[in-house]
Amino acid sequence: MIDVEDLCAGYGGKDIISEITFSAGKGGFIGIIGPNGSGKTTLLKAISRVLDISGGVVTLEGRALSDFGQKELARTVGVVPQETAMNFSYTVADIVMMGRFPHKERFVKEDTEDYRIVREAMEVTNVAHLADRLVTDISGGERQRVIIARALAQQPKVILLDEATAHLDINHQVEILSIVRDLGESVTKIGVFHDLNLAAEFCDRIVLMMEGRIRAIGTPAEVLTMERLRDGYGITAMVQTNPVTGRPLVTPLSEGVSPALCGARIHLISGGGTGAGLMYMLAAAGCILTAGVLSPMDSDYMAASRLGIPCITVPAFAPITPAVCDALGAYLDEADVVILTAMPVGEGNLPNIRALTRARCSRLVLYVPGGEEFTDCTPAGDCSYLAKIRAAGCRVVSSRNALYKEVEKLVHTRNKA
Amino acid sequence: MPEISRARTASAITILAVALVCAFVLALSLGPTTVPFAAFIPDDPLGMLAALFSGGNVAGFFSDQTSYLIVYSIRLPRVIAAILVGAGLAAAGTAMQGLFRNSMADPYIIGTSSGGAFGAAVTIVFMGGLFLPVFAFIGAIGSTFLVYAIATRNGRAPVETLLLTGVAISMFFSSILSFLMYSAGNSLHQIVFWLMGGFWNVSWDDVWLALLIPVGGIILFVLARDLNVLSLGEEDALHLGVNVEQFKRILLFVASGLTAVAVSIAGSIGFIGLITPHVMRLLVGPDHRILFPAAMLAGGLFLLAADTIVRSFLGEMPVGVITSFVGAPFFIMLLRRRMRA
Repeated sequence: MIDVEDLCAGYGGKDIISEITFSAGKGGFIGIIGPNGSGKTTLLKAISRVLDISGGVVTLEGRALSDFGQKELARTVGVVPQETAMNFSYTVADIVMMGRFPHKERFVKEDTEDYRIVREAMEVTNVAHLADRLVTDISGGERQRVIIARALAQQPKVILLDEATAHLDINHQVEILSIVRDLGESVTKIGVFHDLNLAAEFCDRIVLMMEGRIRAIGTPAEVLTMERLRDGYGITAMVQTNPVTGRPLVTPLSEGVSPALCGARIHLISGGGTGAGLMYMLAAAGCILTAGVLSPMDSDYMAASRLGIPCITVPAFAPITPAVCDALGAYLDEADVVILTAMPVGEGNLPNIRALTRARCSRLVLYVPGGEEFTDCTPAGDCSYLAKIRAAGCRVVSSRNALYKEVEKLVHTRNKA
Repeated sequence: MPEISRARTASAITILAVALVCAFVLALSLGPTTVPFAAFIPDDPLGMLAALFSGGNVAGFFSDQTSYLIVYSIRLPRVIAAILVGAGLAAAGTAMQGLFRNSMADPYIIGTSSGGAFGAAVTIVFMGGLFLPVFAFIGAIGSTFLVYAIATRNGRAPVETLLLTGVAISMFFSSILSFLMYSAGNSLHQIVFWLMGGFWNVSWDDVWLALLIPVGGIILFVLARDLNVLSLGEEDALHLGVNVEQFKRILLFVASGLTAVAVSIAGSIGFIGLITPHVMRLLVGPDHRILFPAAMLAGGLFLLAADTIVRSFLGEMPVGVITSFVGAPFFIMLLRRRMRA
C-alpha cells in the first residue's frame, strides 16, 4: 500500500535519516519508535512532504508521493501533529470542515455531502457534541480528537500521527489510539510513539529507529526485546507479556549500568522469590547472569525468563538429578561470583548448596537480607552444609548495598588475577 | 465566549453596511460649512447622469454652485478616499494577522510604512515633494520585497523570519528617515505632517489610485478559505493541501500592495489596520470569509468618521492623531474585557 524505499532526508543538506525502507499494508498500524534524535519525526515529515527528501522514494499504491499535487496529497495523506496551536477561536465544526479544503475547488461552496462527512468524522472521534464550541475553549484531549476528525474529513488513505497523544493523560491516550486503530481497513496508520507500551498495544508492526536508520522491524514481540531495548535506548528493561492482550509489556528498570560490574559473570542460587530483586538489579548493572537450579513454578524462574537469564530448571517437586548437578557445576565454574540467597532449603533444592565445594566458596557471597536465617525444611537438618560453607570463609552480607560492594570487590580481584 | 451564529454575523455586516452609507451621506454634509442634503441632489438627475456619461459638464445641473463645489470637488473624493484607505488598511491588517497567526500584527509589520515614509521623505527633501504618492508607493512596496527577499531561503520564508526581518528593515528605514528629518531644514514640517497621516490634499486623482483597494479586497476575499487554513499554522496548512509558500507570496504581495496604496494616499495612519480586524474578529469570529468584508466595512467607517471629525471640528488636525487617540483606549478596554473573560 505505502512503500518507503531507501529514503534519505534531513535539514540543511545534512541527512538525519538514511536508507529507510519499509512498507505498510492496507489498514495496518505501524509504530515508529526510537530514542530522541533517532529521526522518527523526520521520517514522518519526509513521508508527509513537509521535508524535502534527498534520496529514495515513497510510493502509495505504486505512485510516488512526490508526483502528487499539494491538494491531491492532502486528499491521500492526513497528518495528526503532536499539538496544534489554536490562535483563533474557530468552532470545532469549522476546524473539522477545514479537512474538506483539499476536496473543494476555489469557488465551490461546501455542500451537504461535506457537512455529512464532517458530522461523521466528528461522530467517530466523539466530538459531535462539541461542534459549536470554540476550539480555544475545549480540553487538550478533546482538541486532539478534533484534529483527528479533521484528518478523517480529508478522507485519506494514510494517517500519520506524530506523537499524537504525547501530551495527554493515559485515559485520553488509550481513547484516541483506540479510535485510530479502529478506523478500519481503508486507512493505513503510521504513528511515532514515545510510549513503548502504547506502541506495543496498538500497532501491528514496530519500526525501531536508531541514529537515523532502521534498527529493527517486526511485530511488537519481535522488536521489543531486552537486547533491542538495551541496544536502542541504552536501558535495561523487563519485557513481560501483557496477560490480557498478549502484547509485550516493557518496564524499564531504574538501576543503571555499573562500569565495575558490566560484563561480570554471576551465578545466582535462589528460590522462593528471594532472588528476583537481585536479578533485576544485577541485570540492570550489566552483569551476565545465570541462575538455578529452579523450578518453573518459582517466581525467581519467572523473573529470570523475563530478563532473559539462562536458567537450569527441574520440574516442580522433582529431584535434582546428577545430570542437572553437572550442568550447575559448569555454570558455577564459569561464574566470577556466585550468590546464594537465604532461601528455604528442603530436600529438593539441597543439591544446590551441596554443589558449593570449598574451592567455589572463595567466590561465594551469602545474601541474608536483614540478618534473616535460612529456613531449614530438611528432615535430617542437613543444613549443616551451610555451616560448612560459612566455615570455609564465604562472605555474608545482609543488604543489597553491601552485596553490591562485595560483588564489586570479588570481580575486581578476579579481573586482576 | 458565546457561540457566533450565522444570524449574528449577517446582522453585523448589515449594520456596518447601513452605518457606512449613513456616514457617507453625513460626511458629505458635515464640515466647516454644513451643506444641507437637498443641495446634493441635482435639479434634473436623469439629465445630469446623461451628461456625466457623455463627458459633459455636470456643474450646471446644480442650482447652488458653492455647495456643488464643496460636496463634489472637495468632500466626495476625500470621503471616498477615507473609506477606501480605511478598508484597505483593515483588509491588509486582517491578512497579516491571519498570516502571522497573531492578532497583534498590523499592515506595517513587515516594514511597509517605514519604507513608504522613507520614499515620501526622499521626495520631500530632495524634490520638493514632487510625485510624493509615487515615491511613497515605491518605498512601501520596495521595502516589502526587500524583507521577503532577505527572509527567503531555499524558496521558503518562515513567518518568524519574515517578522524579524520586517522589524529590522523597519528600523533601518526609520533611521534613514530620522537622518532625512534631521537634515531636512524647512521641509521637516512637511515630513512630520505626512507621517501623521491625513487626507487634506486628496483629489480625484487619488481616488482613481484608491480604486485598486477594492480590487485587492476582492482578491483577499477569494483567498479567504486558504487563509483560514493557513491561520492554523504553516505545517497544518501544508497537510491540508495549501501550497503554503506560493500562497504566502500572493498574500504578502496583495496585503502590502493595499498598504502601499493606502500609505501613498494618506501617509501612515496608525491603529486602523491593527484594531479593526481584531475587534471584528471578536464580533463575527475568525472565519476570513466573513472577517474580510466586516473588517473592510468597519475600517472604512472608522476612518471616515475620524476624518470627518478632524476636518469638521478640529481644524484639519492630521487624522492619524485621532485614530490612535480613540483607538488605543478602545483597544485597552477590549483587552481588559478579554482578560476578565
